[in-house]
Formats: sequence, C-alpha cells, structure tokens
Amino acid sequence: MSTQMPRSDATVVIERTYRANIKDVWALWTTKEGFESWWGPEGFRADVQELDARVGGALRYEMIADSPEMIAAMKQMGQPTSHRTRSRFTEVKPHSRLVLTNVIDFLPGVAVYESNIAVDFTSAGDSVRMVVTLDAMHSDEFTKMQKEGFTSQLTKLDKRFA
Amino acid sequence: MLMQLEVFQILADPTRRRIVEALCYGEQQVGDVVEKAGVHQSGVSRHLRILYESGFVSMRPDGQRRLYALKPEPFREIDEWLGRYRRLWEARLDRFETALEKRQQQARRAKERSKKK
Repeated sequence: MSTQMPRSDATVVIERTYRANIKDVWALWTTKEGFESWWGPEGFRADVQELDARVGGALRYEMIADSPEMIAAMKQMGQPTSHRTRSRFTEVKPHSRLVLTNVIDFLPGVAVYESNIAVDFTSAGDSVRMVVTLDAMHSDEFTKMQKEGFTSQLTKLDKRFA
Repeated sequence: MLMQLEVFQILADPTRRRIVEALCYGEQQVGDVVEKAGVHQSGVSRHLRILYESGFVSMRPDGQRRLYALKPEPFREIDEWLGRYRRLWEARLDRFETALEKRQQQARRAKERSKKK
C-alpha cells in the first residue's frame, strides 16, 4: 500500500552502542538462532519457521506465550497463546542496514497495511552503534499492548472493588 | 479496551490521518480541510463525523459555518502508549545485549579451546 502524502505515523527511534563485532550483531537479526535468542517480547518466545535475510526474503515466526503469567493472561482475555507473524526483509545491506516490513492484516475494519522496522549499523573500533527506527503506531505490538493495558486496568479495578 | 483500541483503529485509516494532519493547523471549516488533505468533500465529511464521534475532533457552529478542531485527549492517550511502546523496545534491546554477550563469550571459549588443542 502506498500513499503520495507523507505518512504521519508516530516514529520511535532507539539507539544503542555495544562492545561487539558487527558480525555478531548482524547475526542476531539475520539468523534463526540469533533472532530467537532475544526477540521476545517479555513473556513470549519467538519460534522462527523461516528466516531468509535477503531482499524480499521471508521472516515467519510464531510468538508463543511462555511464562505462566502470560499464558494465564492471554487465556483470561480469550486470546490465543500463540500468534503467527508475517514479515519480510525489504532492505538488506550486510553489516550496514536492514528493513523488516511487517504485514498488519488482523485489525477488523482496517485495510491491510505494513509497518517497518529499520535498523542501521555503524561499527567503529571494537563497538557497534545500532539505530532502530520504528513505525510505532502501526505495529503488532502496539495493538497487543492496548489489549494488555486494558487487562492491567481491569485488574486494578478488580482490586479496587474487591 | 474499546476506548484504546478505537484510538488506534481511528488513526490506522490513512484518510483520517490526513484530516488530522490538516487540522494541526488549527480550527477550520470542512472546505479548508478538503483543500489541505487533498481528499474529496464527501470523504472528508464522513471521516470528520467519525473523528467527531470518537472524540478526536470538536465542532462548534459559528453563524452559518461549522468549525472543526482537534481535541487533546486521544493524543495524550497515544503519547502514553508510545511511552510504553518505547519501553517495550528498550527491554527488547536489553535482551539483545544479553544475547550478544552470550554469543561473544561462546565465540571466545571456542577460540580458547581450539588454541589448547
């Protein structure tokens, strides 16, 4: 989907610098074991079915609730405890930049759209600077958090009236 | 849930995002929004009604005119969510760091082992 107008998405930019070599940093994004070792999010683990870090290559993974609290929370909300995610690599410049495009096709009443995660890498000496730029408003996590936020608010209410 | 999911769904629509952007310039009539957003009048009217009903936009009559403006509340809510989203990613990148250290340790150990042999 494309529009001529500039997109007014809210963007979040996060920068980190690691003492590491670029090969290892890159591998955490572009290999199955690497990606699974950190993606999460908290309370979830990622099970990668396919990861093909080339332009147009697919990234398919399942996010599976794996802490007892999260499993209980998802069940309480009537949500499945795992969630399939469809993404692809739309830019791949080894050791320098990658863009992951996620397909958002699960919002009722909203046309299918895409959200990007762009990562830029700069290595200097024995450190690597990583800049992650996110389309925050239009992401899978955003929707999930809204659901989670609602749950935690409900819990608060429960406590108040208990 | 409805309240917060709605905020997100309202802005997920690109036409409504254009209208919201146009309204960033301040209070105005439908005609001005049509011009700034580059969207057909009927679309603007329909989406303005949705934005009004969902609390994004206020409307006040001024003689023959109806003036539309953005309301701050839903945007404050978005701000809050953005903060949470950022924290989620900060936590994710903390795990990234941990995974990275582990990976490097393993590589170092493998190197030492091969030296001893």
